[in-house]
Amino acid sequence: MEKSEIQERVVKVVCDVLHIDADMVTPEANFVFDLGAESTQSIQLIAAFEEEFDIEMDEEAALSVDTVGGAIDFIDKCLGA
Amino acid sequence: MRLVLFDLPSERRGNFNPICLSRPIWELRCGMSSLGEKIIARLGATDVAQFVPQYMAAAYAEQTGYPVNDAKTLGGDDLLLVNPRVKAEALNVETTGAPEVCLSDEGEVLYARVPADTLAKLQAGSIEELLESVKSLPNVQRDLATWNYTWDLVLANPDQITEDFRAAGMSGIVGSVEEPRAIRGSEKDVYVASGAKVHPMVVLDAEHGPIYIDQDVEVHPFTRIEGPCYVGKKSILLGAKCREGNSIGPVCRVGGEVEESIIHGHSNKYHDGFLGHAYVGEWVNLGALTTNSDLKNDYSDVSVVLDGKKPVGTGSTKVGSLIGDHTKTSIGALFNTGAYVGAMTLIMATGSPLPKFIPSFTWFLNGVPTKGFGKKKLYQTARTAMSRRKKEWTDAQEAMWDAIFELTAPVRNPVIKKGRREMTRGR
Repeated sequence: MEKSEIQERVVKVVCDVLHIDADMVTPEANFVFDLGAESTQSIQLIAAFEEEFDIEMDEEAALSVDTVGGAIDFIDKCLGA
Repeated sequence: MRLVLFDLPSERRGNFNPICLSRPIWELRCGMSSLGEKIIARLGATDVAQFVPQYMAAAYAEQTGYPVNDAKTLGGDDLLLVNPRVKAEALNVETTGAPEVCLSDEGEVLYARVPADTLAKLQAGSIEELLESVKSLPNVQRDLATWNYTWDLVLANPDQITEDFRAAGMSGIVGSVEEPRAIRGSEKDVYVASGAKVHPMVVLDAEHGPIYIDQDVEVHPFTRIEGPCYVGKKSILLGAKCREGNSIGPVCRVGGEVEESIIHGHSNKYHDGFLGHAYVGEWVNLGALTTNSDLKNDYSDVSVVLDGKKPVGTGSTKVGSLIGDHTKTSIGALFNTGAYVGAMTLIMATGSPLPKFIPSFTWFLNGVPTKGFGKKKLYQTARTAMSRRKKEWTDAQEAMWDAIFELTAPVRNPVIKKGRREMTRGR
């Protein structure tokens, strides 16, 4: 999958889970400090990414990702693995 | 004679989950003691060996004074092999005598008496070999009563407390019961052990059964305890409405309404909320207003889902929750009748009754079973909870829980996948 497609789908998932506008979801945006993700929403985000990309993410490693760009890279690696 | 208790991996073991994921069956409690303690007392055994599933052997060895999974204990003496599912009172067995074996209808060894000279003729390199080998001994036909499911213990608990109270032979106030006090029934049916403090304004109602308050228990004002009841050492009751048939503790904190339930050590149900006909493991924390149903609205028999798939009929109209070790609930969690709540789960209330089956190591958040923050975070919480009670979370325990995590994955993973599909649809 092209990284641009991953990015597009990640942005959509983040908007859906956190109920925010797409223009806020930049690669540099921090889930907690910039996008206001609560701890339970972090868990929802992981579950939603897993469902969107049909992947299994190691939750401890995934939860250490703090930015949208980091999530895109993480998912890219999962898809390539 | 050496008593050999054995509890090896089998399909039937699953009937005692989630409580026996982390302990052998003989550590289940009923009345005032564990099944193992009852068997040992019944047989007057002083030499005891134990065989458990290998994944829990190291952790269990840290908690018991008897050898665990030591093949050397299968030689050098007459042996009496006892399946801990056999009810202690049914064990009318001479500890020495001619070799014999008693099998269940399914061919499971219920007990086997093996004199040392017979042992030399059998395969005894491992407990598995020996249990197979003893089936060749003369079979005796006995209809031995057995425990088949965890809820059997809950349902038997009131009568078992009464029996255990009589057997203990203790009575009277050794600790303190402060005035004004109210003891209903006969004071002979009440025992307050040394160091126990019953505050003023506590009702001890022994009219319908005995009450045993063990050492260093503290019972706060406005608690009402109905017998039969056993309160284990160092437990604290906080204005509890303690209905009949409870076995609590040791080192539990219990408030709210509790009825005919068994609560293992170091578990807390500090606040209001109803717990009835429940079996609760160790290190559980039930948040304020956590409540379980133990009776269906149509008064039909309760079923329990033990494997995530097929409901098992209990044959009883009253069965509450089975809650595994280290599980925590948020305020306001509502458990359905006969709910199975795995070990190491974290439950956030939804406002509605929760699903009847919640697998071990699940984080139930916003109505959806998830992987949550993972098992390491659960371990960290367990370590913190235990250190507050001056108990250590050991490497052996972590290894056991890692094994339980793997063991329960085939049931948990589909539930989590389904949950995340539902969550995505609901976005």
